Order: sequence, then C-alpha cells, then structure tokens
Amino acid sequence: MRRRKRMLEALDADIREHIDFETQDNIDRGMSPEEARYAALRKFGNLLQVKEQTREVWSIAWLEQLVQDVRFGVRTLVRSPGLTVAAILAIALGIGVNVGIFSVLNGMVLRLLPVPHAGDMLSVNQILHYPGRGDRSIHNNSGWFSYSEYLDYRDHNHVFAGLVAYEPYVDATLAGGNPNPLIGTAASCNYFDVLAEFPTHGRGLIDSDCASRGGSAVIVLSDELWRNRFAADPSILGKKIVLNRTAYTVIGIARPGFAGTEPIPSAFWVPVTMQEALEPGSNRIADDNMSWLAMMGRKRSDVAFEEVRADLSVIAGRIDQRHPGRTTSLAINTARFLSSPEERQFVIPVASVVLGAFALVLLIACANVSNLLLARASVRQREIALRLSIGAGRWRLVRQLLTESLLLALAGGALGSAIACWSFTRLMQFVTAHLPSDFPPLALNVAPNMNVLLYAFVLTLITGVVFGLIPALRSSRADLHSSMCRDGGLSGSGNRGGKFVLNTLAGFQVALCTVLLLATGLLLRGLYYAQTVDPGFEIKGVSTMFLNLGRQGYNQQQAAVFMNRFRERLRNIPGVTQVGQAECAPLSHDFSAGEFTLPGQTGTFGIEYNHVSSDYFSLLGIPIVRGRGFLPEERHDAPGVIVTESTARKIWPGQDPLGKELRELSGRQYTVIGVAKDAQVAHLGRANTNYLYFPSGTEDDSRSYVLVRYESSFNGIQGRIRDEARAIDPNIAINVTRLEDYLEVWRAPSRIVAALSGALGLLALLLCSIGVFGMVSYSVSRSVREIGIRMALGASGVSVMRHVLWQALRPVLIGAVVGIALSGAISGVLSSMMFGLGTRDPIAFICVPLFLLMVASISILVPARRATQVDPVVALRSE
Amino acid sequence: MSTKEQKERIELLQGTLDLLILRTLQLGPMHGHAIAKAIEFRSDEVLQVEQGSLYPALHRLIKRGWISVEAGTSENNRRAKFYGLTAKGRRQLLVETGKWEKLAGAIAQILQPASPEEQ
Repeated sequence: MRRRKRMLEALDADIREHIDFETQDNIDRGMSPEEARYAALRKFGNLLQVKEQTREVWSIAWLEQLVQDVRFGVRTLVRSPGLTVAAILAIALGIGVNVGIFSVLNGMVLRLLPVPHAGDMLSVNQILHYPGRGDRSIHNNSGWFSYSEYLDYRDHNHVFAGLVAYEPYVDATLAGGNPNPLIGTAASCNYFDVLAEFPTHGRGLIDSDCASRGGSAVIVLSDELWRNRFAADPSILGKKIVLNRTAYTVIGIARPGFAGTEPIPSAFWVPVTMQEALEPGSNRIADDNMSWLAMMGRKRSDVAFEEVRADLSVIAGRIDQRHPGRTTSLAINTARFLSSPEERQFVIPVASVVLGAFALVLLIACANVSNLLLARASVRQREIALRLSIGAGRWRLVRQLLTESLLLALAGGALGSAIACWSFTRLMQFVTAHLPSDFPPLALNVAPNMNVLLYAFVLTLITGVVFGLIPALRSSRADLHSSMCRDGGLSGSGNRGGKFVLNTLAGFQVALCTVLLLATGLLLRGLYYAQTVDPGFEIKGVSTMFLNLGRQGYNQQQAAVFMNRFRERLRNIPGVTQVGQAECAPLSHDFSAGEFTLPGQTGTFGIEYNHVSSDYFSLLGIPIVRGRGFLPEERHDAPGVIVTESTARKIWPGQDPLGKELRELSGRQYTVIGVAKDAQVAHLGRANTNYLYFPSGTEDDSRSYVLVRYESSFNGIQGRIRDEARAIDPNIAINVTRLEDYLEVWRAPSRIVAALSGALGLLALLLCSIGVFGMVSYSVSRSVREIGIRMALGASGVSVMRHVLWQALRPVLIGAVVGIALSGAISGVLSSMMFGLGTRDPIAFICVPLFLLMVASISILVPARRATQVDPVVALRSE
Repeated sequence: MSTKEQKERIELLQGTLDLLILRTLQLGPMHGHAIAKAIEFRSDEVLQVEQGSLYPALHRLIKRGWISVEAGTSENNRRAKFYGLTAKGRRQLLVETGKWEKLAGAIAQILQPASPEEQ
C-alpha cells in the first residue's frame, strides 16, 4: 500500500516529463513551440484516463469504488431525509417482525441443547417398518426405544462417549403442600455425566442407582423446584420426599437453568429403574416391544457422523433379527429441542406457514420502498442521464444505486433486528406468563444467537436487492435525449413504462395485504362460529375433572376404592344433580380409537370410542334415539355397545342397527343395544366421525374424567369438589374446571393465529396505504401539466378527480382481485389446520376487501384532491 | 498525417505492449519517453503506441516485479525515471516471446493458403 502511494505520487511528474521530452523532440523537428506541445499532448492520449488506469493497476478497484459508492450513497440519502427515514422505518418494520419470529423458531428447533459441547450431542430415533400391521406399543413417541434396545445400543456401540435414555414428561404428585402435578424425567443413570451437567449441590445419578429395578429411590431436583417448593433449603439433601406415594432421597440439585433436554422443563430426575414405582401398573422396563425412551448420545470427538450411523445400524440389524419381519431405520440428528422426526414433521409445516405470512409483510415493505425509490429516481433522472452521457457504464450506475438501497436495507435491518431481539425476549416472557394455567411452561430461549444474526443479515441483503433492483435497472435505462431536453419528463406520458411498474408494485402490495387481512377475517369468523356453535350436548352447568390416579401412584384396586368413595361424596354435595364418568370427557382433546370389523366381512372400520358410565347420556343431554342406554350394572366387559346415528348410517346403511354385531381386532364381539344422537364430543365442528360408546367399569377408574352437573354457582362447587377429594387423600392432585373451558383449547390456536395475522394484516394495511398514498401523490405531481391542459380545455374539477381516481384505483382493484384468488387457495391449507375456518365464508370474503377498498380510497382521495386544485395557468407556466 | 501513413500504421494488440516494453528494456534501462520512441523506431514507425498507455503498462509490470525503477539523468541532463528489467522480467520475456511466436506462427499458418489467391 505504501509502495502504491509512492509510485502514484511521482506519476504526474513522470507524465509531465514525458510530454516535455516529446515537445522538445517536436521542436527539434521544426515545429513551433505551441504546435509542438499540442502534438505531444495529442500523441500522449487522454491524460485523465491514463492516470485513472494507472491508479487502477495499484488499487483493489472494486473496494475503492465501493467506498466511493457508499460515500456517495450516504450523501444522497442524507440529502432527502424524509424519504430515507420512511424507507428505513418500513424496512425496520418488515425485517423486525421476521427476525423476531425467526428467533422464536430458532429457540424451538435450531438452537443446540443448553449443555456443554452441545454440538457433539446426537439424538437417535428409529423408524420401524413392518410388512403388515406392527404390534409395537407406543408411549409418547413412536421413534423411541425400549429399555432392552437401549441397553443393546449403549453396550455395543463404538462411537459414543456415552449414550443416555430417558422418559420425559412423567407426571408425578409431590406429597404435602400444593398437589399440582410435576413433570419430570426418568433417566438412565449416566444422564448427568453424559450431558456434562453436574449438579450444583449434592451429586447426579450414578451407575449403582440403576443397578436393580426399583432398588434405588433417589431423586435430583431442578433448581426451580428446589427454590419454589423447598425454599432453596440446602439441608434438603439426604432427606426423603414423597412422589406418587413412594419416598425418594434427595441426592442433588441441578444447575440453575438446566431443565432437561425437552421444551417442557423437567422438575426432577429419578433413575429409569424407578419407572414402575413412579407409574404403578405399567412395567415398561420389562416390555421389549414398547417405544418409551428417548435416546441421546455424546459422540466421541474423533468419530465422524457417518461412522455413527454405520455403527448403530449394525446394532439395529442385530435387534431386528430378534423381531422377525421388522426392519429398523435410524434417524440420527444433532440433538435439539424437538429433534425427533415425528416432532419435526409437525413443526416444520407450521413454521413455514408462519414464516411465509411474516415474509409477506416484508415483501409489502419492499414493494413500498421500491415505489419510493422509483418516485425519487424520476427526480434524479437528470443526474443519471448526465452520468450516462459522460461515459458511466450502466452496470456501474446500477451498482451505485444498489449500494444506496443496500445502505437503506442495512440501516433498516440493523434497527429492526435490534428492536426485535430486544422486544421478543420480553414478549416471550409476557406470553409464557399469561398462558392458561394448565398449559405446561416452555423452556424456550429466544435470545438471539449466530443463527438469528445470520438470518437477519441475509434477509437484509436480500431485501436490499429485492427493493433496489427494479428502481436501479429502470432508472439506469434513462432515455438520454428526452430526459436531458425535457424537464425530467414532467408530462408523465413519456414514461408509460415507469407508471406500469409503479402500478404493478402498488397492486402487488394490495394483493398481499388482502391475503393477510382475509386470513384474519376467516379466522375471526371461525372464532365467532366457535362461540355460537351448538355442540349437540349441554355444555353449560357441567364441571369436569381429570383424575389420572395411575400416575399418582395408585394401583387399579386402590383407584377403584378411591373413585367409589369420591363419587359417593360428590353426590352428597348440595347443588349437584348428577355425577357421571367417562374415559374421555367431551372436547377434552383425549381420544381413543380402534379398528373394528363386521362378522363375515374382511374390511375394517376405524372407530373412535369412549367408555362411559350409565348416567353419561342424561348428564350431557345426549338423547338415545333407539334402543336403550347403559344400565348401572353393565361393566367394562359387557357385550352391549351404543353407536351414534351417523355411524349406524355409515356401517349399516338402510338397516336397523339394533342387534347388529361388531368385532374388535382382538376378537371380542359386541352387539349394538342403542343408538345415540350425534354430538360433537370428540372434535368440535365434526359430529359425523365414527363413534361408539362402551360401558365403563372399575378398570377405568385409574384414569378417567368425572363429570358433575350442578345447579349452584361454579365457584362454590369447585371448592367443595376439591375438598371432598382431599378428604379421601390429602395429597391428591385434582384440577376442577368447567366443561365449557375445554372449548377454549379448541379456540386457542385460531385465536393466536387470528391475533398474529390480524396484527400482521394491520401492519400490512398501514404499509400498503402509505404505498398507495405515495403512488397517487407521485403520479398527481407528475401529471400536473396534463391536468392543467385538461382544465384549460374546460374539464371540470369533478371529471379530473374522476380521472385521477380511476387511474389510481385500477391497480388497487386488480391487486384486490388477485389477493382474493390467492386467499381462496391458501384458506384451503389453513382450514385443515384450524378449527372452524370456513374456506368460502362469504362474509369474510366480502367485508375484508370492502374494508381494504375503503382504506385505499381514503389514501387515494387525500393526494388526489390536490389534482383538482391545480391552477392551469400556474401548471402550464411551470414548464 | 497522410492517408498512406494511416494505412500502414497498426494499432497494438491487447497485451502485446507488455511484451514490447520488456523486449525494449532488454537493451538497458530507459526512461518512459525513450521506451515509446524505441518501440516506434524499431518497428519502422508501423506500430503506433498511444504514448499515454505506456504508463499503466509500466506500472503493471512494476507491480508484477518484472521491471524495476530508479532515478537517473537523461541524455540531455534532465532528471528522469529509468525503468530496467529485473531477473524475473528477463525470464518472463523468454516465456512471453515463446508464446507470441507460437501465436504468430499459428495465425500465419491459417492465413497462408488464402494469401496467394487474394494477391
């Protein structure tokens, strides 16, 4: 670099010398001194160009030009602060919401686990293939492993420094105090060592804890549980606490901030060998054919990813030999929250829909800024024409203009990302703090990391190019002659192409805006529908409580005793008129389904079913239209079943269903004894799913819903029910709600999405009306002369107004029509994901575009009024 | 400038100027103007060098380390910069000359059969 400076400093002198030599030569040849100097200069060529070319030899040309472009760009932007601020704000808005939502998704699916050297942690899942129907039992996730399979992988692999298995989401009730259920983990005893998460107090699990089944009742508490339930008392170590009726010795407190490797934080960890004590009645450890343990390994650092796959596949093949007909394929990924294929299958489409909606807002912002830049480009046409005519290359100009738009994008992107990163962390805290109380807390880290910054940066660059390219290409194609001679083409007619681009961009914005607003409209209509829907049973005046006694440490016999006493006590509460019981309460998001056949036929039907007590139908007001209901003495194994009307119609069309036979795949046979009226008990909005009722018995007591119809106020009843339950078992965990509260669960997704797309839609509308406003005021200012001529020739203010309005409204109308067509396509996708969304809801499809047109008309009318105030004399003189 | 003269003068091919400069400097260090003169003179004034274009070329060669530059005095006792070949430049001259001969030979071979017919 210093050499370069030295070389260039002497250049001027060298050239002067050279010309002096040549002049002298010419004089020697007999020319006059003046002539000699001219000849010398002519022979030398373009002085400036030579210097420039010599300088380029020494410079990294593009870097210098870039610096030049940036300097020039900053100056240009600063010179029109209004436009710059508007553009930066629009981009900041667009990029901000996108970066914000990405940081949430990043926290959900991209972030590595919050453990040391998380990049080495691999999550292992299996996909089992069977020739026919598999006989695999599944608990939580079909990609998980049985205990014996885990031991095989743990003991025979050559690639992991350690392999852990754990059962997440284990419900447990802590005796004493608040009996709300905790969510914890049953983990293999190398869990803490492999994750390198060493408890801050006491110790983690060690191998001897898992030496025998049910032998070592020890527990590690999460820091949060320790602080909230045990007041951070350090003397808790070594003491016993009772979980699900078993006493565990507290051996450690986990590091603050470590809450397991799942999105729902784990409150405690017990040895996996304690599974049966924790969940009486289900001995999963002994079941070789059950998926219930998630597996996660720490790769040895000298092992490549492919080696892991190869090594584990060998083990999988060996296990397959023990299960004839079964083949296993493994899915091995870097461990993250939601890393199993099953979870990703769900998350990724949802995430893409969400990201798509947010990207629409950014696109609108881009179209908007494009419009602003195009409008300004017409003002700069002279400058550009001048530069083109003195020899600037088009590419050079495009680069200059793109640099300007990239500067705008970077400023907007930086501002937007900063705001997003700051606000979304707080927003998440707000949202998680205000979720419904029975919603599990989420351990979601939305703080920005490299992924988010990279996303923001790439998005910003793309944004800059997207909104900058059209204006740059257009304005660098200026027609030199016309823009130099005429006054920047004030007549407007000379730039039909420019107008077309402006109109297209405006129409594009309107179309995107329509899509977002229509989605909101459809969702709001869906919500309204959900509020007014008649589910086909009496939902009001019923209290419901879910009792999973099996998960609270009861075996079946104990559960039956408890339930018997509980029902008895409920009946005695004043104000309670009926007490019923069901395997699945209506609309509780709890489903059971099975495959059934008809005797003598091979085809199978998938039928959802429920085990209900005899008073279920009268309690919910579901009429039995034919045959009879269940009798109190009919128990779990009674052969009579009740089907719904539509099920009967589908299975036995045109026949009397009473007395017809149904066979379960297990071989058990049932007879239809009654037909119940259709009701939306399983899925809100769908009454015609195949559905049948079995009678319930003591087998159902360890996991069931109790339904209570009451006539007094809910608050009084709620407290009484809880008291009655605690009178039997003071440690019982029970949550008493109203049946209609279950509707909330169905509405929540629509409500969240409606709020989201509503907010986005309003943002889009704001951007869009600014865009339309800008487009109209620009085109009015460009056609001042044309309007002046029209008015001079006798056009009235009204007709000028009509002309301007029509000119501006046309792209808006086209955009709206395109938007409606797009929405028609998209709503089909949305309706499959959310309840109550009518794809062809006429009210939404009429009201939303009308609303949009109204807003658009206002943003057209304001600048258009200026057109009628044009004074023809002034307009024509302004030439 | 007469018409005849114009016809006979040939614009330099892109890149050949570097070769010519290297070859010229083989005779010994020279200052810029002398290099231009030497090229014109040695080609019987057929090769027309726009003298200005010499300077970007010289700087390019300096940057590549093929020629060096030092101060000196010209024949009429004026201070001037003298450009001279470096060892690297000498080697490069051989390479470039070889390349050029190959190119010229190839082009001549293509043009040969056509020449008699046209004359």
